[in-house]
Amino acid sequence: MTSESAAAAAAAAAMNSVGEACTDMKREYDQCFNRWFAEKFLKGDGSGDPCTDLFKRYQQCVQKAIKEKEIPIEGLEFMGHGKEKPESSS
Amino acid sequence: MMRVWSSEHVFSHPWDTVIKAAMRKYPNPMNPCVVGVDVLERSVDAQGRLHSLRLLSTEWGLPGLVRAVLGTGRTMTYVQERSVVDPAEKRMELCSTNLTLTNVVSVSERLVYTPHPENAGRTVLTQEAVITVRGIGLGSHLEGLMVSTIASNAKKGWAAIEWIIENPERAVS
Repeated sequence: MTSESAAAAAAAAAMNSVGEACTDMKREYDQCFNRWFAEKFLKGDGSGDPCTDLFKRYQQCVQKAIKEKEIPIEGLEFMGHGKEKPESSS
Repeated sequence: MMRVWSSEHVFSHPWDTVIKAAMRKYPNPMNPCVVGVDVLERSVDAQGRLHSLRLLSTEWGLPGLVRAVLGTGRTMTYVQERSVVDPAEKRMELCSTNLTLTNVVSVSERLVYTPHPENAGRTVLTQEAVITVRGIGLGSHLEGLMVSTIASNAKKGWAAIEWIIENPERAVS
């Protein structure tokens, strides 16, 4: 496989976010996380997560998308529901 | 009405390799219905275990008749997945439940990946699902459908892990 078609295959095969606007942030965060997970965390060095800033930005975007789509996530603090179950909309 | 399904599968790869693939499972050609994966929460606890909460968006492409019976025009369903990875104990556990269509059916799945007790080059996956169908009438037929769907999805899941292990450059999520 040539490098262009490999890149195209990778781009075509990459995963989306629930929020269309969040997909690029999600992919950037995932790349950072997967590297840390494989090279540090699994080898016993779980300290010093280098992805926290990427995660924060990505999170803010996803929270907004979840609210807009009214997806009933249980027990998530940012939804403001705490431990109570949100009303099921389905 | 409730049904339980369980299975055990052995991968011919060491635990670290399988876990890295499991964390990057989607997309893969065996599970085309999963169209979105998002991390909602993630943290490392005081024992060094990684906790994650993920949201999976799935497009089942349910047959029109099933959709009509379920009374939904919606084709996108959402699954919540919690996982814990213990790198010292070499144990990964995932629990997932559906967030939508809960008035019709609840599916909870639990997966545990551990090294094979007799062979460090292999990994054991034990898996179980509990299906609860609400209401009456459709009950056992829908349950039967769910069980065979879960069983066939489990096989696809094992094949997906193998595919990710063998195609690391293609796995980007």
